[in-house]
Amino acid sequence: MNRLKHNWLICRAVAEVTYKEWSAYRTHSLVSVIVGPVYFMVQYFIWTAVYGGQTTLGGLDLQQMIRYFGATALIGYLIMDFADWNLSMLVRTGKFLTFHLRPVHHRSFALYQKLGHRMLGFLFEFLPCLLIFIFIFGIDMRPASLPWTLVSVLLAFLMNFYVNYTIGLTSFWLVQSGGIRSAFLLVSGIFSGALIPLDFFPHWLQVTQLFLPFQYIAYMPAMVFTGHYSLGGLELSLPEAVGMQGAAVLVMFGCNELVRRRAMKQFTAVGA
Amino acid sequence: MKKYVDVYKQCMYSAIQTASAYRMNFIVSSLITLVGNILFPLVTLLIYRAGTSFPGWSLYEVLLIQSIFTMSSGLSSLVFGGLLWTTMSHVREGSFEVILLKPLNPLFYIVATTFSVESVGLFLGGAALFIFSAMHIGAISALAWLQFTGMFLAGTAVLAGLSLMMAAMSFKWVGNSRISELADSVLHVGKYPLPIFPKAVQAAATLIIPVGMVGYLPASALLGRVQAADFIAILPCFVFMGAGIWVYRHMIRLYEGVGG
Repeated sequence: MNRLKHNWLICRAVAEVTYKEWSAYRTHSLVSVIVGPVYFMVQYFIWTAVYGGQTTLGGLDLQQMIRYFGATALIGYLIMDFADWNLSMLVRTGKFLTFHLRPVHHRSFALYQKLGHRMLGFLFEFLPCLLIFIFIFGIDMRPASLPWTLVSVLLAFLMNFYVNYTIGLTSFWLVQSGGIRSAFLLVSGIFSGALIPLDFFPHWLQVTQLFLPFQYIAYMPAMVFTGHYSLGGLELSLPEAVGMQGAAVLVMFGCNELVRRRAMKQFTAVGA
Repeated sequence: MKKYVDVYKQCMYSAIQTASAYRMNFIVSSLITLVGNILFPLVTLLIYRAGTSFPGWSLYEVLLIQSIFTMSSGLSSLVFGGLLWTTMSHVREGSFEVILLKPLNPLFYIVATTFSVESVGLFLGGAALFIFSAMHIGAISALAWLQFTGMFLAGTAVLAGLSLMMAAMSFKWVGNSRISELADSVLHVGKYPLPIFPKAVQAAATLIIPVGMVGYLPASALLGRVQAADFIAILPCFVFMGAGIWVYRHMIRLYEGVGG
């Protein structure tokens, strides 16, 4: 119990400090208030044109499709992360040593930082864009099931963090992991479902996505939001889908822990 | 004039030498850019694969728009790609004075020293897609090629203007690494056939921030779909680039060194 309380105090302190630190750059977050709606507007007109007279595409009607893109944009603000870049920078400069000596696990520290950073994102990106989507675009942004959507977004938050942190860990071998990071961003951008719902992909690629982490970051929470999840011929109810997402997060955490332990053996603290 | 040409040639040479010093990084970056471009029209491919389309546009016609957009971005990025980040870095660190002390036009100096060799991958990826889609749209007349060339250059001028305006913004919005996202979001409109957007967006994308000239109008020229009135849109493109140069030079005058 004491340990839980101790961790909670650390979490609150780190999140609070990160929030204050990034509050100095809150206008950076406000860029999303312009960028998000512009991207959404383009998606809106693309899909309105593409649907034409058709009622459904990829199992979604036009309204569901618009809601899907609204949800992916908003969820993106809640789960955004750059733990990979941060960790890579710490390893490259040798500053990771100072974290190695602290009585707090760096992964936990990074997670708490992300919490603080995204709290700022919630206020300066998520809320303004949600209001724009509802009142300017007139989109119904009520989730099919609020509790399951919240759990799914939380799991997407963790999945995104663990995946990014694992990418960052490659710096212990490569020092400069920019190439891997760019390649991952490219693949993730396509296969997370942020560009187009994964139902549009060929069947074999949809099935492959069930075993990769990408769909659990954007596609699954967005589909849970719309109230209907299917991929590669697999139709799941919301609790089943969220359960599968939870299992995927656990597997990813296990992989991350495995890589982290091996990475620590590589650490030489050069540059500190 | 000769001095400027010589300086630019020397800067290009230095950029190539730098790229060859970090060959692996250059190859990986170029490959990722190339693959990224191959995957860029994926959404279009998947939409057409699902049995639907952009009304009035075949798959290859949409790919033609997107390939021209990519080529134009590659060309602009080659020349103006590093302008934003270099300006931003100098302003943040307060080292812009060093550039102001050089016996050269500061804007020219920054443009010349940020020649981005890596953008060759972007241009080549777009060119490959362009050749592929152009081969599927039938015969193209010499007049259409001429119209295309003029519009393509105008589109590249729009991208240059956008780069200049974003870089100029960094003089006041210090250290905001997300400025480029503003330009990217507006450019997104130029990647698709303009008629799918409402008239107001079409007008803005032709006359105010003429992103329609980056992909849509040059592709229309090749397809023989341009009207005489469309050529009027060339003028705002060069006005836009001129405005970018003016704004950047104006912001230089407002620069206040605080670091150093």
